[in-house]
Order: sequence, then C-alpha cells, then structure tokens
Amino acid sequence: MSNSRAEQNLVTFIRSNKERFYYLAYSYTKNEQDALDVVQDSIQKALQSLHTLQNEDQMKSWFYKIVVRTAIDFLRKHKRQHLMEDDKLMLLTPQQFDSYENTDLEVALDSLPTVYREVVILRYFEDLKIEDVARVLDTNISTIKSRLYKALKLLKVQLQEEEGF
Amino acid sequence: MDERLKKLEEQYKSVPIPKNLDSLVEASLKQRPKRRAPKWILGAVAATALFTAGLNINPTMAKNLVGVPIIGDVVSVLTFVSYEVEEDTYTANIDVPKISGKSEEIAALNEKYAAEGKELFEKFKEDVDWMNENEGGHLGVDSGYIVATDTDQILSIGRYVVEMVGSSSTVMKYDTIDKQKEIVITLPSLFKDDAYVEKISSYIAGQMREEMKATNQDKMYWVSDAGLEDESLVELFTTIKSNQNFYITEQGKLVIVFDKYEVAPGYMGVVEFEIPTDILQDSLVSNEYIRQ
Repeated sequence: MSNSRAEQNLVTFIRSNKERFYYLAYSYTKNEQDALDVVQDSIQKALQSLHTLQNEDQMKSWFYKIVVRTAIDFLRKHKRQHLMEDDKLMLLTPQQFDSYENTDLEVALDSLPTVYREVVILRYFEDLKIEDVARVLDTNISTIKSRLYKALKLLKVQLQEEEGF
Repeated sequence: MDERLKKLEEQYKSVPIPKNLDSLVEASLKQRPKRRAPKWILGAVAATALFTAGLNINPTMAKNLVGVPIIGDVVSVLTFVSYEVEEDTYTANIDVPKISGKSEEIAALNEKYAAEGKELFEKFKEDVDWMNENEGGHLGVDSGYIVATDTDQILSIGRYVVEMVGSSSTVMKYDTIDKQKEIVITLPSLFKDDAYVEKISSYIAGQMREEMKATNQDKMYWVSDAGLEDESLVELFTTIKSNQNFYITEQGKLVIVFDKYEVAPGYMGVVEFEIPTDILQDSLVSNEYIRQ
C-alpha cells in the first residue's frame, strides 16, 4: 500500500536527518532538553499527519514546517518559565565567555530577530529553495526574499562592525 | 559573504548533539499512532467499538462494560449504521448512533443523527470527487459517539466529528436524555430563568484565569485579565450560549463543553468545565438532574 511506503520513506528521512532537526530546533529553544522535546513532538506529529503530505517531493519542507511550528508553539507555551530561568541565571552566575573560536559570528546569528535568523538557516544551512522556505514559514516568496536581503545586510553590518570596519 | 555564511553555518552546526538523540528518535518512531486522530479520540473510538460489539454480541458483556442492565432497560444506544471508506488517501469512518426508545423526542433525535451522518458521508464523497477531478489529495473524516453518562435516570451521549484536511478540527455535540420520561434535557430547561448564563459564564472565566495562573500558562484560554500577550488578537470569552453544549455526570454535576478553538488555542482540544452545584442551586428548577 502506498501509505506504508510513504511511512517508510518518512522514517528513513527522519533517521538520516535527525541531527539537522536538532540543530533547527535548538536554534529556537537554545536549550538541549527543549530541543529534544521539540524533535520528539515533531516526529509524532509527522507520523500522525503523514496523510496531509500531498507530494513526497515536499517531505523536507513539510517536515521542517512541523519542526518550526512545534518549536514556536513550545516557546510560546514556556515563555514565562524561560524568562524566569534566564533571569535567575543572570543573577546567580558570573558573566561567562564561550570557548568557541568564532564567538562574534555566533553572536551575530543569534542576535538576529527570529524572522531573519530562520530564513538564513533554512535557505543557506538547510539548502531549501526560496519557495520551500516560504512554505515552511507559511508566507509568500517576496516576503522571504526581502527578509533574506535584510538578514544578510544585518549580518554583514554586524560582522563588519565587529571586525572593526 | 560566502565565507561568512560558511562560518556561520559551521557555528550553527557546532551545537553538540546530545547522546540520547538516537534513542529518543527511535522511541518516537516506535510509538506509531494507529489512527490519524487526536489521542483522546483514539480512546473514545476504541471504547465505542468495544461497547457496540459487546452490545450486539453479548448482553452480559455489555452490562459489565457500561454498568447498566440491558434486559428490561428501555433506553440504550447502539450503532445504527456505519459508513466506511478506506482508500489510499481518503478515509472515512462514520458511526451513526441510535437511541432505543419509543417517545417522539427520541425518534426526532435518531432522525437527526441519521440525517447528519448521511450528510457527512455525502459531503465526504463530494469532496473526494472534487479532489479526484483536481490534483488529488488527502481527506479524512472520523465521526462517532461516546457515552458520557449512563445511569438509571439519564443518558448523555456525545457525537464527535474529526475532519482532517491539513490540520484537524474537532466538533463534539452532546445530547442528554431522561431515560424514564424519554425526553431530551436542554440547558435552559434545567433553570428557572436565564440568570444561569451569567452565573456559569463568570464562574468559567474565573476558572480559566486560575488554571492559566496555576499552570504558568501551560493551559491557555482566550480570556481577559489572565496575562495573555495580546488580547486584541483573539475573540475573548465573555459568555456561554444559552444552549451551550453540556452533559450531566453520573454524580449529577453539570459539565459545560467548548469545541476545539472555541475558547482556547488548538492544542487545548475540546475544553470542559464542571460547574459546582452550589453556584447554580438558586437558579435550578429542581435537584432532579443536577445534584449537590
């Protein structure tokens, strides 16, 4: 039956891309446990709503859409707790510096508002086509294009500033 | 610019992968849902399937399951007709209940159930035809009923329709019947006047605010003064309808029901509030159905 074939394809897709889902989830939650929760929920939702996938060629963008929505839902539901945790951490721990080499770069991406960060991630790091990014984020192509433009501009400006331009 | 993006990408992917990601993914994959329906519906479907099968095959079993004597019991409920379609991308599962009883009111209910079931099925067929003529696609409809309460005196049954086109929507409609008198109990018929609307509404609004506070907004309702980020985005709950969906529990408590999306975001599903009899007492016609 084609249903079970679609399901097998989905399972294979999930198994071979789980790390990518994790990175994507983490870019929203910024926290290991929450990102894992989002990945888990997304897999469940995908299996449950596989019948809404009209065309298997769109599996990637369809699944990413589920991850993005689940992550955003998650943030919305847990916003308060997170704010509290962050506040506490700020108070309780001395300022720490990351051991990453490219801290400035990470800060640059992280400091972008979500709407800009997500288009950069989906378009360049996950190699989705502009139209697929639009599908994932439920908006139109021209909006994505202008967000990308703005995002790149912002990134460039920030990077330049940090490099002392 | 490309160099920068590459570095950003390396950074993006430098987040350490937790050791338990593999096992978590495998575990999630194993928990396959058997049916494409919300979890609470799964339970309901299984329960009604058992219930009707048992009822049709074995009266003793039915008696054990629902705790009512079947022999000599006038009013009971069973599946009248089932529509089933299982094609690659289209599934329909429509169970239409029928309540046994001789009164006109019960006959009218049964007629309504049969008509609505048929209509749902006709509409599904039309939608399938339309889909086939166009690009094709996926459609699912799941409809049936649950018995919320079945005592010597009352029967509350809830009929649900879950439509799955993209996202799923759930509608739940309850009917409550006095089994002795074979009449349908409506919400207004329980009360002396319409003061109950205000009493119940303000109780529910208070309850919503409390629950949101107690759960740190894990539970969320569209209600004012409860810390919603932007109240103007949603239609806030102010009052129940005078014929709001309801059922009566075995203990004689009134439960007010809202459909998915009616007063809360989708993840809250169908929402119910049990109303303490204390706040209704002055308005009740009697304590025949609603008890302390």
